[in-house]
Amino acid sequence: MSISLEKVTKRFGVTFGVEDVTAAIPSGALTAILGPSGAGKSTMLKLIGGLVTPDAGRIFIDDDDVTDVDPRHRNIGFCFQNYAPFRHMTVAKNVAYGLKVRRRPRAEIAARVGEMLELVRLSDLANRYPAQLSGGELQRMALARALAIAPRVLLLDEPFGALDAQVRAELRTWIKELHDRIHVTTVLVTHDQNEAMEIADSLIVLNHGRVEQEGTPTELYDHPVSDFVLQFLGPSTTIDGVAVRPHDVVIVPAGEGTPATVTEISTLGFEIRIAITLQSGETAWIQQSRAEFDADQVSIGQSIGIRGRDATTSPVGTRLEAKTADMPADAEGALRQSTPS
Amino acid sequence: MTAVIAPVAERTGGAPRDVQRRRRLPLRVVALLYVALLVGIPVGFLFGKAFSNGLGTFWHQITEPGAISALELSAKVAAIAVPVNTVVGIGAGMLLARRRFFGKRILDLIFDVPIAISPIIIGLSLFLAYSRIGWLGPWLLSHGIMIVFSIPGVVIATMAVSLPYVLRSIVPVLVEIGETQEQAARTLGAGMWRRLFTITLPAIRWALLYGIALTLARTLGEFGAVVIVSGNITQKTQTLPVYIYSAWDQDFNDAGAFAGAIVLAAISITVLVILSILRARERRLRVDIA
Repeated sequence: MSISLEKVTKRFGVTFGVEDVTAAIPSGALTAILGPSGAGKSTMLKLIGGLVTPDAGRIFIDDDDVTDVDPRHRNIGFCFQNYAPFRHMTVAKNVAYGLKVRRRPRAEIAARVGEMLELVRLSDLANRYPAQLSGGELQRMALARALAIAPRVLLLDEPFGALDAQVRAELRTWIKELHDRIHVTTVLVTHDQNEAMEIADSLIVLNHGRVEQEGTPTELYDHPVSDFVLQFLGPSTTIDGVAVRPHDVVIVPAGEGTPATVTEISTLGFEIRIAITLQSGETAWIQQSRAEFDADQVSIGQSIGIRGRDATTSPVGTRLEAKTADMPADAEGALRQSTPS
Repeated sequence: MTAVIAPVAERTGGAPRDVQRRRRLPLRVVALLYVALLVGIPVGFLFGKAFSNGLGTFWHQITEPGAISALELSAKVAAIAVPVNTVVGIGAGMLLARRRFFGKRILDLIFDVPIAISPIIIGLSLFLAYSRIGWLGPWLLSHGIMIVFSIPGVVIATMAVSLPYVLRSIVPVLVEIGETQEQAARTLGAGMWRRLFTITLPAIRWALLYGIALTLARTLGEFGAVVIVSGNITQKTQTLPVYIYSAWDQDFNDAGAFAGAIVLAAISITVLVILSILRARERRLRVDIA
């Protein structure tokens, strides 16, 4: 079931709203809405779910205009950031809730609840109360509850936000596997670009309530339409006002390319980070693999030249290459640095 | 109360338990003495006095026609005022906790009026509004409806003073649990009434029961507003507290007053005890933060 938003606007105060958002979410895919906090990610998800009504624009689920449809009739599965467990009900009763509302026969409900608990591996905890579950277990219960009604789309608001790092990683892999198995159109909101890149088939990057870019993770990583997208997705460094990937900067002998001096070398296992200073005094950094580092053999204090990587292997590298080609030979790059997060 | 406090105290770290206990001792003695002087000893004397002439006298006093009639009226008034104020309290509580609307602060303030001002003022205001000399009274009388000096007046006065208790008990809990459980139920297909009865009310059940118990206690105990509006007509508009006052002040029937007071106190104490037993059982049966 595909989802599309057409010129949707919802204003709150200064932040959290969305402005003239048009986006298409492909059927059956796992799509991540990504952006910094206050960008309007959760609002966009709640607009799809119907928990927030737009000031303008239309929202479609599978070509049905659902803009004016109450969330209870949208047939969606929504998982809240705090999981919203029904605290006075057992895990099994939580999962059964949507089916009871739909007046399904008792036997069918029991079978479906069993199936769902099996799916999220909570069968042993069926008679526990939410207060007795861990964060990861609550998250899985919320998923089972949302999936029990066989929703057209599954909407997850910051699904891993409140979990510790290890549970987070496990659950991430698990959700990916779950999605591969049941293929329900899934939209999740996250502010973590690594999480989004790892888990999603397609990404929508929001900034200040507007869609910066949408596409597959590879498209966005390799062909960002703006410095914002480039900097937000993966590591970046800024050379002479141009944001590039630090692994798309290559070292050439002194006298070629833009002159620079090596100021620091950090070895992080497989990855080597080389901090450099340009003649302007500003700093940037280069990311190299062990093999590249061993081939270049640079040391602290050494004078080097830098240039962008070959366009055929690295689309982003062409940004810098185009820029350096325009520059006079003696031009000094004004450098800004942005550290990877 | 100690049963609730003890487990928390056991968990606190720092000094060994016996040292902690010794430190807390003076505080405990002061607190208990204070409560004893204000409530415990006087109520104890009341019980002693009521039964001083034997159970037979006590029974004779509470089965006297005036007492029976007062007890019946109090029960009737409670049977109307408690459910109505419970429904109104839940509705207004949901409104105040979940919605934003024009006049919200004023509504909030109005619900504090019966707590903040003396019941006698409420009684006088109702009298002014609904009596023969009032604004609405003459019109109502011409339609055969008599409020002041009759049972409707007693009911209205009681409802007015016991209005805020359900609301004030549930609003903080409604705010604390937030809206997401209700929203989740909504996305699962539940309509407004189903959400209210299967999600919201169970989530706030203890606060709600507490509010209802307070409303009941206040309803049975209300005196100031009722005595003005009711006109204190024996066997007609006398509620139990008004009957007790009349027995004591006008009929010089001390035994009757004490007996009535015991019945009133016993009902309220029973309600509180039942509530605390239910609550303790709930705690034992499952881990629950609600």
